[in-house]
Order: sequence, then structure tokens, then C-alpha cells
Amino acid sequence: MGASFSTADTIVAVATPHGRGGLGVVRMSGPESAAIAQRLTSRELPFEPRHATLAVVRDIDQVVVTWFAAPHSYTGEDVVEISGHGSPWLLQSIVESACAAGARLAQPGEFTLRAYLHGRLDLIQAEAVADLIDAVTPLQARVAFDQLEGTLTSAVQRIDAQLFDLAAKLEASLDFPDEGFHFITRTNASADLAAVQTELERLITDGRRGRLIREGRLVVIAGRPNVGKSSLFNALIGTNRAIVTPLAGTTRDLLTEQVDVCGVPLTLVDTAGLRESADVIEEEGVRRAEQAREVAALTLLVLDGSQPLDGDDQRLLAETGGPRVVIANKADLPSVWSGSGIAVSAVTGRGLDELRAAIVGALSGESGDTAGTEDLRDVPRVSNQRHLLQLEGAVTAVTRSLEQLNQGATEELVLAELTDAREALEALTGKRTSDDLLRHIFSTFCVGK
Amino acid sequence: MAVPDFDVIVIGAGHAGVEAAWAAARMGRRVGICTLSAETVALMPCNPAIGGTAKGHLVREIDALGGLMGRAIDATGLQFKLLNRSRGPAVWSPRAQADKRHYGRWVREALTSAPNITWIFRRAGRVLVEAGHVSGLEFEDGGAVSCRALVVTTGTFLNGLVHIGDEQRPAGRAGEPPTHQLAESLRAFGFEMGRLKTGTPPRLDRKSIDFSRFKEDLGDDPPVPFSFSTDRIDRPQMACHIVHTTEAVHDLVRSHIDRSPLYNGQISGVGPRYCPSLEDKVMRFPEKERHQVFLEREGLDVDEIYVNGMSMSLPAAIQDAIVHAMPGLEDAVVMRHAYAVEYDFVQPTELSLSLEAKRVPGLFLAGQINGTSGYEEAAAQGLMAGINAAQRCVDATNVVLGRDQAYIGILIDDLVTRGCLEPYRMFTSRAEHRLVLRIDNADLRLTAIGRAVGMIDDARWARFETRAARLDRNRARAATTRVVVNGLTGTAAEALGRPLVSMDNVVSAGYAFETDGVREIDAATLEAECKYRGYLKRHDAQQARVESQHARRIPEEFDYEGVPGLTREVVERLSAIRPVTLGQAGRIPGVTPAALAIVASRVRKLGT
Repeated sequence: MGASFSTADTIVAVATPHGRGGLGVVRMSGPESAAIAQRLTSRELPFEPRHATLAVVRDIDQVVVTWFAAPHSYTGEDVVEISGHGSPWLLQSIVESACAAGARLAQPGEFTLRAYLHGRLDLIQAEAVADLIDAVTPLQARVAFDQLEGTLTSAVQRIDAQLFDLAAKLEASLDFPDEGFHFITRTNASADLAAVQTELERLITDGRRGRLIREGRLVVIAGRPNVGKSSLFNALIGTNRAIVTPLAGTTRDLLTEQVDVCGVPLTLVDTAGLRESADVIEEEGVRRAEQAREVAALTLLVLDGSQPLDGDDQRLLAETGGPRVVIANKADLPSVWSGSGIAVSAVTGRGLDELRAAIVGALSGESGDTAGTEDLRDVPRVSNQRHLLQLEGAVTAVTRSLEQLNQGATEELVLAELTDAREALEALTGKRTSDDLLRHIFSTFCVGK
Repeated sequence: MAVPDFDVIVIGAGHAGVEAAWAAARMGRRVGICTLSAETVALMPCNPAIGGTAKGHLVREIDALGGLMGRAIDATGLQFKLLNRSRGPAVWSPRAQADKRHYGRWVREALTSAPNITWIFRRAGRVLVEAGHVSGLEFEDGGAVSCRALVVTTGTFLNGLVHIGDEQRPAGRAGEPPTHQLAESLRAFGFEMGRLKTGTPPRLDRKSIDFSRFKEDLGDDPPVPFSFSTDRIDRPQMACHIVHTTEAVHDLVRSHIDRSPLYNGQISGVGPRYCPSLEDKVMRFPEKERHQVFLEREGLDVDEIYVNGMSMSLPAAIQDAIVHAMPGLEDAVVMRHAYAVEYDFVQPTELSLSLEAKRVPGLFLAGQINGTSGYEEAAAQGLMAGINAAQRCVDATNVVLGRDQAYIGILIDDLVTRGCLEPYRMFTSRAEHRLVLRIDNADLRLTAIGRAVGMIDDARWARFETRAARLDRNRARAATTRVVVNGLTGTAAEALGRPLVSMDNVVSAGYAFETDGVREIDAATLEAECKYRGYLKRHDAQQARVESQHARRIPEEFDYEGVPGLTREVVERLSAIRPVTLGQAGRIPGVTPAALAIVASRVRKLGT
């Protein structure tokens, strides 16, 4: 964003997505927005605040105009929303007329930036707005909505208040040494710090899963030919996207689909069966499969449970390092071996829920193959990389201060570390921030928000 | 223009005034110091003590810059203590009981024997201004003197009102009349003023107390001096005595609380929370069964005993009853009763970082008139006002200390940036660079600055250079000598960096520490550098990042009115205070990160 932090002028943009729709909304914010709306619609009387009023934008469209008078609006400024018919051309014409009448085209994120500058949202909430708009799974939307509601802000404020209280007592011990008593004992300070450390670590664990939900991951299905990779792919995405035949080597190129697994948006990749091949096309397919496996966050290694493991299987078991989930497919047929793989039937759907949980568990960095489903009902409070980094900064400082305290260091050094921890938390909520950071955050927004 | 009578005139000879006069004179200016009486120079109307946590830091800094306070207390102290010695060197802070009459005499003689200082024992009247600049001072009984710069350090004298129970009388300090014409003259400039209160405890007659009944509280042996120029303190040290309040005392306070001006609405000024009156202690901490009180000698030739911890404003008869209810003080004679005093102060946001009034060029304000409490805070401001007034006379640049450079810098930045809502007292917690701003390195931080403006003479400078060179040698040896301490092998510096390892441990392990009798200071510097090294390294890196943004200067004529997006209050605050840098702007109360971002964006656009 060529961000101006100026809030003097009136900005305008189409707020609904590009394309045709039943309705489209043009949004204006700034001191002139009501006057500009009046000019556009040639009205003599001003609009009434918080009333939907039918009006006509000259030569363009019949619209409904709603004026939200400052400060009771999204941005905290005078905001006017003009609902017209959802033709891109009509909406664009209204925006152009507004510009001709004195408004300026909004930059991406500028409405939310103004809401932040006017104190309507804190930084976490502003970021949540962007996430809410970008949400593609229901869980993503819930995480973002919780943050907009202030769940994370209040969790961080609670921790900061605990640190503040502890710091105040340690400071008092330094500043009033002749009061004849210590304001807090080393043991109590140590216990308080340990509690804060635990709470921060819980947020960070949350955050690892939260990031997974927010950002999604690339998951690759691998295995030798004809173990049912494509059937599994189709079963997970819920449509017959991949061609499935009894012939080994049916899948040549990479197939990619987005899928919601327990709220986590995954990019699922089906690959060619891994075997030595004389076929040039198949050979290229195998090469691509291997490349995909290298960049993936997780490999689903598919084996055929109804067949004894052959040399290719053994080789893949040995070679696929990194995070993986081993699957014994074709569980609808009599099993000839048993091992640690999850028994799944892509045909009957048996074991698919267990597999989904194992995928999310493995991606969250949790050990157990069945971990996940239970936890996933809790909405993580942290999902944003920036937040996670600040929390990690805070927990590092808290851990250092705890170490200092336990090794016998005196208050002033412990306090120095606590100050670092509190600064990280303040940077997280935006209580302390630089304008560079603000620029960066708001640049990720879409226009109209 | 004719040569004025003086370069600098200082009004008031309290702790701020004497430092201001001393500094300007050291820098070669002709100074007049105007006060009512030679008897009240550098008076200690309240606690007869110098230093304490953070205040001791201020005194070391004043001394490192060439000021008086450190040497004065070293020459006249009765009991010295290094507070917080069980903690790290960053929070060690010297404190001493003063022989208060002796202290005043010592300071008066120092000023009298300094070249360039003239005493003016008259009552100051009106500040004279010509062509928008201070031009002189008119006296209340007529006549005037001219000057290039004027430093006003009138303490609590502006509209002073003393309360003892329901008795009220206009006054400055104990027994001194308030100053009216000067107050009117200052008011006429249109300064934003406020009202504060402070109090002092009763004084008891030493001869009426049997000290053998109390626990003795002794000073350090050997005493640690304040001044970098003092080698050792040879004066005999005296004990203080500790007494405790009882439920009977608390009951007396509670049953007469409606007669305390602090509680019945008679006093409107705001008092210091951190120095609570006896009424506050009893009413606000009802769960505490007793409070500690110190009986402190005010001097070898003074019979008055200062009852530290019992400031109050109850009627005299009730004070007598309270004193007599204290175990061991049943027969004590009260020589002077406790009182509270209310006074006007000038909101220090009226001043720039050089302590010059923004409305009146050439006029400097320092000390309690700026809303601070404490002799040390006053002296620190006096010194800086004196230095800057001297600079003003020859159009030289202001001397402004940064927050990362000195507690004095924090003190002045806080005052002029944030203003005062209650009497301002220095605390180490106000220092965001606390581990750097230590008493052991005040000279390393500041003496070169003092030298550059002419405050540090050749002898003192030579002494400093010797110490700095010795410290360097000690550092180099600490980095190379290998020692075994508590079973761990490493360099002396590494050993010293571990918690609970002291210089003595390292020296007995074979580290050759070079010393010359000021061992305490060199050892402390070295120990601090080693103990805090990990933190300081991170701190420096972080500092460099923050610095680039915060150090950005805001143009002097920057127009906040023209910046869209700022609220009315923020525009008014910024316009009144006119911060010099973005960092300072961010410290102004009410300036949010969002508001700061708006200002930063505009400043950057102006391309300065």
C-alpha cells in the first residue's frame, strides 16, 4: 500500500467481490461521504443516519443509501454504503461518480486502517478482519471471528497484567529497600513466572495449530503403482476427480485439489506410482511425484493391505523421511499383513475419519496417530505468524528471567528480561508498534475493506 | 547594548539554586544569587538526608558533571549507607544522613569562595523582559539588576500555605514568608500552573529521649562516598534508631481523622503517593499492625530529632498525644510540630529540554517549582539550568542529556514531556536503561560532557583519566586471566558474569585486580559489565533498531493542526509540548501508536 496515514479525505471503493451479483455495495468513508452521497443522488435533504433510503444515482442506477454517522461506524468516520444492482459496470460507475464528486479511490485495507487509527479496532482485530474475509473453511472463519471478538487480545492482556503485577512488586523491593520487608519472595516470583510461562506456551501450541488452520498445508499422496492412491485422493476430496483404473501407471501427472480436513485447508496432491519405468511420460511423472514429496508438509504413504509388501514398498518405507502417515489401503479386502499403518478402505470409506485425524495430528506436530479430533473442537486463539513470533519472543524472555531468578540473580536483571517480555506482548496487541509494521499489515488487505 | 550587571541571576539558594549558581560561575559567567538570608542556603527543611534509591544515582551524576552536592554530603554526612547492596551494582544507591547546619555552611562557603559569584540578600520581585527576552530582575523594595539569563528556583514558596490541623498560615518553608510579587510576575507570563502539597514530620528534643530503649541502626563501615573526588570519609559515624507505631497510635489517628486537613478537604493539592503521611499509612493500609519509624539526628550541634515516617497535618495537641503513645517516646518533647504545605508549581511542560521556558526566552526554572520533590531532583535540575543559562549567555548549544545517558536526562525528559500530576520523585524503575545507568559509571558517562563545557577542572580531569585507563587494564586482564571459581574454569570475566560470584571470589582465584583505594568503584564497574553482559548485548542491538526510528527529529515549526487524523486532544498536547524527536512524541500521555504513526508518516513525507 502506498499507505497514507491521512484520514482527511473521503475514500471510496466497491466493497463486494468483483463479478455479477444480485446486489453490489459501494462504500465511502470520510468527512465528505454524506455530502458526496447527497450530490450523487441529487437530493436536497441530507440522508437520515442509520436509515436505508431509496435514491437514484443520476443516469446510473436505483440504489439504497445508508449513512452511518461518525463515530458509530466501521471506520469511526462518516460512512455511506450504497447498495446497487450487482453489475461490475454499474458499481464502477458509481465509484467514478463519487470520485468526480470529491472522493478518492481507497487503497487496499484503508477502511480497516482508518478503523484502527480511530481506535475502533486493535491490531489483532484488524488482522482478524483480513483473515475473516479470506476464510475458506468454517474453522478458519471461527478462529478469525474469535480474534475479532477480542479473545486473543484479552488472553494477552491477562498475561501482561500478571507480568505487570509481578514487575511492580519486584520494582517496589528495589525502590523501597528500607521498608523492612520484601514485597515478594523469590519462591513466589518464581511460581508466578512459571505460571506465565505455561500460559504463553499454551498459546504458542495453540498457535502452531492455528497457523495450520489459517495457512493450510501441502499434503502429497505417494506409493507404488496400483495401491489405490487415486481412489484415496477421490475419497478425501469427495468427488471422482482422478481417473481410477485397475491398470498400474494410470496417473501420470500431478493432480491437485483443495480440501477441508477437520477445518484445515489442505492442498492434496495425487502423484504417479513410484516405480522404475521405461515409459518417458511415466518417468517424468515419477520425477514430479518425488519433487512434490520434497516440498510437502506431509506424505501419505499408501500401501496395499491385501498384498504382501514388495521391494518397492520396502524402499518407500525406508526412503520417505519427514512427517508421514502410513496407510494400509484396501481394508475392505482380507488383510495379509499388519503393522502400524492406518487401515483404510477408499472404496467403503472405512478408516477415513481416523485418517483425517491422523493427518491433522501429524501436521500439528502431535505424536499420537489419533490425536487431534478432540482438540480440534477448541478454536485456537492464535493463528497469525506475526502473533506467534511475538509470543515466542515473550516466552523466551520469560524463560530467561525464570532462569536468572532460579540461579540467584537479583531483581534488576530479572526485571530487565520481564521488560523485554512485556514489550513483545505490547507489540502483539499494537500497544507499541512502528508505522512500518502498520504499513506492512494493512498492505495484505483487499480493496474495499 | 550595555553590558548587563550579571550574566546569570539565580533566584533562590536552595539545592537547585546553589547548583545553578555554581555551574554558571564555573563556566566563567558572572553570577548573582538572590536569596533572603545567608542562614537558609542549601537548607534541608525536611529529611536531613541526601541520596536514597535513584536519588543517590542523581547525586553521583551531579558530581560527575562537576556539581556540588556529592562533595557537600561527603564533607558533612553523619551516617552513610549503600542501599540495595544485596542486589546488583545497577541498583546500588548511596544515602547519607546530613549534619544539616554544617551542610548549609559548607555549600555557602563553596559559593562564597568561588570567583564570579555575588550574593544578593534581597527579596526578588518582578522578572523584567525586553524585546521578548529576559533582561533583569526587579526587587520587591525597588531597584533592579540586569542580566542575560535568569534561573528561578523558588521551591514551595509560590502561594505557600502551611496547615497544622485547622490552623493555616501563608508561608514558604518553616518560618519563612511566602513570595507574592514574584508569583504574580510568573503568573503574568501565562504559565499553566498546578497545586501540590508535601509534608514534614515533627521534630523531637534529643535530650528528652532515652535512646538506649531503641534498636540501633548503623551505617556502613567503611562508608562509601558520593563524590568521585572523595577518597575516604573519616568523620565518625552516628547511629539512627528504629521505633514502631502501635495500634494505640493508629487509634489516635483514626479517631481524629476529621481534623486532618489531608482528609477533611481543607487541602486540595496532590501529595506524593510514595511518601505517605501517617494519616495515609493508617487509613490506606488498615491491615498493617505497625509501621517503621526512624529517629534521625539532624546534626552534631542540633538537638532536633527528625521522626522519619511520621509526616502529618493533625492539630498540635493530637500530634503530642501520638508521639507520646509511641513506645519509648512517652516523655519526648515536641520542638516543632509536623505540618503540611500546599504550594503552586509551574507545569514543566512549559519548559524545553534545556529547562528554559518556551514562553520567555532567557528564563529558566528548576527544582520544586517544576513539580518535583526531593533535594536531589532539585539539585539535578539546578545544575542543568545553570549550565544551559550559561550557554545561553554566549549563544552556545544546549546541553541535553539523553534517557540512555543519565537519570538526569530521564528526570528532565519526563518533566517536560509528561508534566506532573503529583510531586515527581526519581525511581530506578523510571529508567528503561537501568542496567547501564549505574552509580559506578556516572563518571564514564558524564565527566567528559562536564569537561567540555568547563565544569571539570584539570585536577579532576586527570583523576578521571587515570581511573578510566586503570579500568581498561582491569578489563583486559579479566578477559585473559583464567581462573577456577566454584569448580568452573573460565576467564575472570566469565566467572564474574555468573550470579553469586563476587570480585573477592575472582581475586582469590588468582585474578590480579589493580586498585588504588577506590576499589569499590572499579570493581563495581567490572562486575556490572560482566554480570549484565548477556542482557546488555541484546539491549544494544535492540537499541540500535529502535534508535533509528525514535531519534528522527520533528522539524521545529511542524504544524500539528494541519495533520489530518489526529484527535483534538492529541493536537493540543503535541502543539503545547513540541517534542524534539518522534521518540519523545511517543512518550507524551495520550499519544497512541496510531497517532504516532500518523505524525511519523507526515514527518517522513516532509523529508527531513
